[in-house]
Amino acid sequence: MTHRNRPWVRLVVGIILAAALVFFLFPVVWMFLTTFKTQDQIFTTPPVLVPPAEQWNLNNYIAALTQSGGLQALRDSLIVSGSTALISVVVGSLAAYSLARYRTGGDQFAFWILSTRMFPPVASAIPLFLIFRDLKLLDTHWALIIANSIFTLPFAIWLLKGFIEDLPPELEESALIDGASAFQAFWHVTRPLIGPGVVTATLFTFVFTWNEFMFALLLTKNRVRPLTVMISSLAGGHEILWAQIAASGVIAIIPGVLLVVFLQRYIVRGLTMGALKY
Amino acid sequence: MATIPRTDNWFLRRLNVQRRHWKAALLFVLPAFVMLLSITIYPLIRTLTLSFTKLELAVSPRETFVGLDNFVRVLTGDARFWNAMGNTAFLVVVGVALQVVLGMVLALLASEMRRGRTVWVTLFLIPIMIAPVVSGFQFRVIFNDTFGPLNYIIRQLSAGLISPPAWTATSGTALLTILITDLWQWTPFMMLLILAGLESQSQEIIEAARVDGASYWQTLWRVRIPLLLPVLIIGVLIRVMDTFKTFDLVVLLTAGGPGSSSETIAYYTYLNGFKFFSMGYTAAMAFIQLIVIIVVSRVFLSIQKRQRGAD
Amino acid sequence: MLKLKHLLVALSIVAALLGAAALAQDAPQPLGLTSFELCPKFDPPVTVTVFGDAGHNMGPYDFWKADFEAMGITVEQVTAPFENVYDVLKTEFVAQTGAFDVVTFYPSYIGDFASNGYLLPLDEFMAREPAAVWDPMMDDVLAPFRELYNKFSGQTYALTVDGDVLVLQYRKDLFENADEQAAFKAKYGYDLRPPETWQEWLDVGAFFTRKAGETLAGEVLAEDFYGSSEFGKRGFSVHWFLNRAASAGVIYFDEDMNPGINTPEAVAALQNMIDSLKNAPPDVLNSGYDELRDIFIQGRAAMVVQWTDVPKKAADPNQSKIVGKVGVGRIPGTPVGDTVVHRSMMPVGRVVAISADSDVPEAAYCVIKHVAYNRSLEDVSTSLTGLDPYRLSHLNNPSAFAPLMGEENAVAYLEGLKVALADGFPEIFIPGSAQYTDALDLEVNRALAGEISAEQALNNAAARWNEITDTLGRDSQIAVWRQALESYRALGLIK
Repeated sequence: MTHRNRPWVRLVVGIILAAALVFFLFPVVWMFLTTFKTQDQIFTTPPVLVPPAEQWNLNNYIAALTQSGGLQALRDSLIVSGSTALISVVVGSLAAYSLARYRTGGDQFAFWILSTRMFPPVASAIPLFLIFRDLKLLDTHWALIIANSIFTLPFAIWLLKGFIEDLPPELEESALIDGASAFQAFWHVTRPLIGPGVVTATLFTFVFTWNEFMFALLLTKNRVRPLTVMISSLAGGHEILWAQIAASGVIAIIPGVLLVVFLQRYIVRGLTMGALKY
Repeated sequence: MATIPRTDNWFLRRLNVQRRHWKAALLFVLPAFVMLLSITIYPLIRTLTLSFTKLELAVSPRETFVGLDNFVRVLTGDARFWNAMGNTAFLVVVGVALQVVLGMVLALLASEMRRGRTVWVTLFLIPIMIAPVVSGFQFRVIFNDTFGPLNYIIRQLSAGLISPPAWTATSGTALLTILITDLWQWTPFMMLLILAGLESQSQEIIEAARVDGASYWQTLWRVRIPLLLPVLIIGVLIRVMDTFKTFDLVVLLTAGGPGSSSETIAYYTYLNGFKFFSMGYTAAMAFIQLIVIIVVSRVFLSIQKRQRGAD
Repeated sequence: MLKLKHLLVALSIVAALLGAAALAQDAPQPLGLTSFELCPKFDPPVTVTVFGDAGHNMGPYDFWKADFEAMGITVEQVTAPFENVYDVLKTEFVAQTGAFDVVTFYPSYIGDFASNGYLLPLDEFMAREPAAVWDPMMDDVLAPFRELYNKFSGQTYALTVDGDVLVLQYRKDLFENADEQAAFKAKYGYDLRPPETWQEWLDVGAFFTRKAGETLAGEVLAEDFYGSSEFGKRGFSVHWFLNRAASAGVIYFDEDMNPGINTPEAVAALQNMIDSLKNAPPDVLNSGYDELRDIFIQGRAAMVVQWTDVPKKAADPNQSKIVGKVGVGRIPGTPVGDTVVHRSMMPVGRVVAISADSDVPEAAYCVIKHVAYNRSLEDVSTSLTGLDPYRLSHLNNPSAFAPLMGEENAVAYLEGLKVALADGFPEIFIPGSAQYTDALDLEVNRALAGEISAEQALNNAAARWNEITDTLGRDSQIAVWRQALESYRALGLIK
């Protein structure tokens, strides 16, 4: 990669990275700084960029977690998002394998799967509400896990299908010839090779569910109360608790960041390299 | 791929399954099929029947059959629907395209990194972990002309020479603020998707191209991006679908204003469904959107198919 | 594995500490200014589920826990975000889940909820003996709330717990400045005063709008200063138009439900609002409650029309740069003949009602009567809630508000409210209110943004209103609207 050593290339790359960093992180930093602001430091002129040092305490974090129900919300969101991600990736990878390798149902079936998530959620929300009412699942984690699967499962299936299709089928075929069952071939040969896909699918199905608002609002009441609803509840008609909203936002980032840090080692080059000797 | 002969059993042929593995093929797909069918079938049928009725829950729970009236009203008599569709199209076409380009650039840079990549990628990924209900509040302050940091910093840096617009309060830029916020939130999604795609590409093929004397850019254009296409297409499809749902940001940033300059189709549908409770009309609107998204998706998938055929 | 265990232990310690911190809670002291008796104790005890918008306005259900316990009632709270109260309630009502016993909502939905049979009429409970237990003293409730926001078709369905109304708020110090008074008189030929008419609003607004570097009341401005500002954000901007329009005699519909919002008076009212935007900050069209409050209490605007909690905040040195400089007055009006008619919109507000599906209506009634009458003075005079006064007994008890803002300010504040409430003009509250209001707000907002002219905007809105009426059913809408007009008449809002 000789061209990368040219100075102008390095300069351009540096500028791009710096600009991207400012663009993507400024709002995050802003949110972080907001967590230390008092109610009167939100709309002022000139804006308070960095709050005074004596305000750098955890009061707003503690208030968000306790008075405003952040701990319960964190627990509910973790249960719902974790379960949705797990179910979507497990169920989804099997289906993706079947679609990619056996072309089950053909293109039309694959498209139907994708199309289930195209329907505007506003229209499906009330029918879903009625279903969960009849199943007595309103205000439970299950209602949200099932409802969110509409959007996460097709995503997981299609994403993983793309990754599996990119793999040469010869690997599994040789395993099958050696007497492995279809499941064994999938589990021992294909699954390890689509690591980046599985990681990406897990991460995004988790995040999609983590950030979802409308189902969380309608399908829950007070026993289950995910973060998005809890945070929206901090914006009253005449009282927006800016600092607590920001603090909840910062807290809400943590599981995602841990997930990325933990999962990223599986998105590394070379994981698939050695296996692909065909 | 179809090196193994197809079955001659009619049922299995309809299902497109190879005989040897038909049990596994069906078994693998069954849980997903059952789950998706059972959650979506009732809402779909219910909404379809609703779309042919008038149901105004604000005044009464009575449903009257009106045939295609709702569809006709949406398509011919509702300027606001078309305005919202236009705004959404802008977000979809310009926004998603920018996300792909920017995501690609960042993914390529990240894939070349040796050290510190975990940190970079994690930093860039933070925006998608901030729910729109949170980021909406941040951007509402950031874009504020009187109180916000953005215009303050611009004025300070330019010593007052540049007078930036009141971003969210000007018809010309309100929609742009939603686009920028969406770009901020979802470019990391494209970046990681592309990065994962790049990382699972076989190095041998790339090396082979390199050995044949192809430059970095040639390898990128001729080999790596075509190989990336399946992942890219699914990423774009997901983003197109989800941009059609842009709603929380609109509520928090502009409430669709000034005027109707930043009203998106998801926000307008939400108003009809959950503020006006005009259920029949909302259902018709939802179906029209579904058809539009299906058509758009078909177009994308046919591009992918043609590409595959050319390989 | 060991590491994970440690982490979990540490986390649970933190969680326990946080939990302990959450237990400390505030409540206003009982004032003893209201005489009432609690409901007889329910045996066995009952649970009443109360729904409302999340935040400090649910406070009363915590404050008076002991009272509820004395009645054998446990109150369970369910909340939704402020923006989503209607979405959630309507969905629950339509699906008949019976999840809530007591519901809190914004009174513009009373027509929708009452006419669809979601709510239990309260008249039977209110008439029970002994009165000290059951009578919520409706005569004490200010007429606009009682007649427009609690009743539907002659029956009472809801009790007010939050009395929202808009008032004029201005910088007393600027209006009293001798130099400014002289300069104003020289320029406009009449004395500087808080604007009495909407035309004066434009004059005063233009007069006080100054660039950075110019002088205001003897001081050189470091930043631009604005004569006035408006709620210009989509959703509520319509009420700032209606303040003007209603004072010019505009009413939503006539007897036969023909829209009355595109009369020449209405067009002039909208034009006045458009003209006033040049005296407002550049981001006025995305100014919501918070931006409009802070442009004023940060000392950047001379006058605004706002809800009645803003003066409370302007009096707080922690958030305000204009402590002691705020005057509260009557919203400008429109000259009609030789008098000036004033109208104050009453947007939002909160009422409580009993769900028709409730299993425990009697206990639910005891809960709503307790918050809407027995303890209401405590609830509206504390800084722990955002609830605003709505009863004569609130307005006549400045001593209750004195700890919050001082005796003198309290008297002035409550006098201002009395005047504003006498001018009170309701939102649309017949079924379909959300649609009518949104359609008008959209067109008003388009005119404010300069997309179309005032006349075009209001003609569009009128046409849209006719479509909505036809879709909802013209005959039934006319019937409910005529009943609404009866209450307007009873209040003297129309002849």
